[in-house]
Amino acid sequence: MAATSTFHMGGRQFAVTRADVERAARSELPAPVRDYYVVVRGRRYPPKQVLALLTGLPRSRFTTHHAVRTLRRLGFPVGRKPRAAGPARPSPAASAPDPVAALRAHAGQWVAVRAGDVLVAAADARTVVSWLSEHGQRADSMFRVPLDAAQASGIAPR
Amino acid sequence: MSFRFRPMPIGPTGTLSRPLVDVIVEGLDAAPQACLVDTGATAVRMSAEIAEAVGLDLAGAPEDEVVAGGMRVRGREANVDLTIVLDGRPVTWAAPVWFCEDWPQAFGLLGLRGFLDVFDLTMSGCDETFALTPRFA
Repeated sequence: MAATSTFHMGGRQFAVTRADVERAARSELPAPVRDYYVVVRGRRYPPKQVLALLTGLPRSRFTTHHAVRTLRRLGFPVGRKPRAAGPARPSPAASAPDPVAALRAHAGQWVAVRAGDVLVAAADARTVVSWLSEHGQRADSMFRVPLDAAQASGIAPR
Repeated sequence: MSFRFRPMPIGPTGTLSRPLVDVIVEGLDAAPQACLVDTGATAVRMSAEIAEAVGLDLAGAPEDEVVAGGMRVRGREANVDLTIVLDGRPVTWAAPVWFCEDWPQAFGLLGLRGFLDVFDLTMSGCDETFALTPRFA
């Protein structure tokens, strides 16, 4: 893993670090992932979104492959969403994600989930609803991930 | 229609399964709100953030102190349309809902007035399932 990744893009040279990527990603909620994704601070982003935020260049100026290679070089995990169609391949890697594990990373945040995937997570409900509307997405369910048992209990005072 | 309890993460390693049902508030079907079926609650209560998200104007709505999750919070009551999907069919009813500031719970609470007086509820803690049947056609 490189501490700094240097690359040319749009006629400019960039030298970026992991901290630069994390800072850039913090400024925007992740857009819907269609194919490849990169995990930054526990969230899945489209790689081109992250690189666009990082460089300030429009997404049309580079390919997903370029974005993936740059972010992978800095040590960010890159994955690819399984295709919905096609023959089933029974293997541990192909098994469904654990929805509880996916939620755990967002304790205390509002989330919108669909089919066990966290579509979006944010500090407030309005941001989550706005994101769904902006990206034409529909959630199965929206809630705040409990921080502890009391928040999930509905208990009355003792 | 039967529902299974839904597992939720509790802290770094724990899990707690809760009787949750997704409720569409004021027709915002892109973001159904997970609500806890709570036989101990006297009313339907949820975060005021939901009212804001669906564009409900609570100005002038009746305001009172509400107890939820061991905390006293301020709430405003409004009559809203709630919808749940039972066997693929949306079921909508009008309910008084308390929208509460500084809501301490992870979910909305579906209590007696506005929910349990509208649906028959059968629950099995052993099987971690519950069933809802509307009392109206």
